[in-house]
Amino acid sequence: MHRVSSLQTIAIQGRFGADKGAPGVTLSVVHPLAIAMVIARNGKSKALKDALASLKSVNVLWAGPDQYYVQSAAKSEAALYTELKTKLANIASVTDQSHGRITIRISGPKARAVLAKGTPIDLYTDEFPVGKSALTQMAHVGVHITRTGKDEFTLSVFRGFSESFWEWLTSQAAEFGYQVS
Amino acid sequence: MLIPCPHCGTRPVEEFTFLGDATVTRPTSLEPSSMDAWMDYVYLRDNPRGDYTEYVHHSGGCRAWLVVKRNTDTHEVDSAVATKTMKAKT
Ligand SMILES: [Zn+2]
Repeated sequence: MHRVSSLQTIAIQGRFGADKGAPGVTLSVVHPLAIAMVIARNGKSKALKDALASLKSVNVLWAGPDQYYVQSAAKSEAALYTELKTKLANIASVTDQSHGRITIRISGPKARAVLAKGTPIDLYTDEFPVGKSALTQMAHVGVHITRTGKDEFTLSVFRGFSESFWEWLTSQAAEFGYQVS
Repeated sequence: MLIPCPHCGTRPVEEFTFLGDATVTRPTSLEPSSMDAWMDYVYLRDNPRGDYTEYVHHSGGCRAWLVVKRNTDTHEVDSAVATKTMKAKT
């Protein structure tokens, strides 16, 4: 069955905002993406870390104390959930979040400048290196942010907030010019 | 005011929700005779000026409950500890 992103009709491709020179940022919706939330059972922090490290073709992102988002673009949501349920039995609780969250990628020389308007987190590379995740708020919306490159981040929000968050994000990006791809 | 969350690092107060005094003990008895103790626990809270220990939820971050020691007069924050790592009151 074909899954439709909650930003399908909102994130229209093209060039927007300031139109002089190269766009300051590029925005794209990461879809479809299988996402599972994994929370360690009492006393199983270490066991969970080890089990997660042995998984293949997945991204494991910190999402709170003893909590992680496991993501995969290669696996179907059912396959990812079933695999985690089996491999993490008695170690962690697993919840499918594939339909619950939407992930937006922001990249480009002005990515940090755009995000700095919304979050109090220090996004300087030394403080927030590639691979690091954090939980914060932007425009009153809970955001899970991960640095995926020097000038590249992914932002994950509850799908119910995706439209208003997109509106806020594009407003902040407009002064630098942005490309939706 | 900045709060040093043990999980997230230093974050501004806007990301936190305050519950109240972390030093009071919840009554265990449900007998009518313990009504005064419940009244005291639920409603009769102090509002001290100075050192204060309270439950704080990092609602805009890691969603963990913390116990924060701070000064209500100077806004100085002394410490923030995750409740999960604390011993239960007996
Ligand atoms: Zn926190």
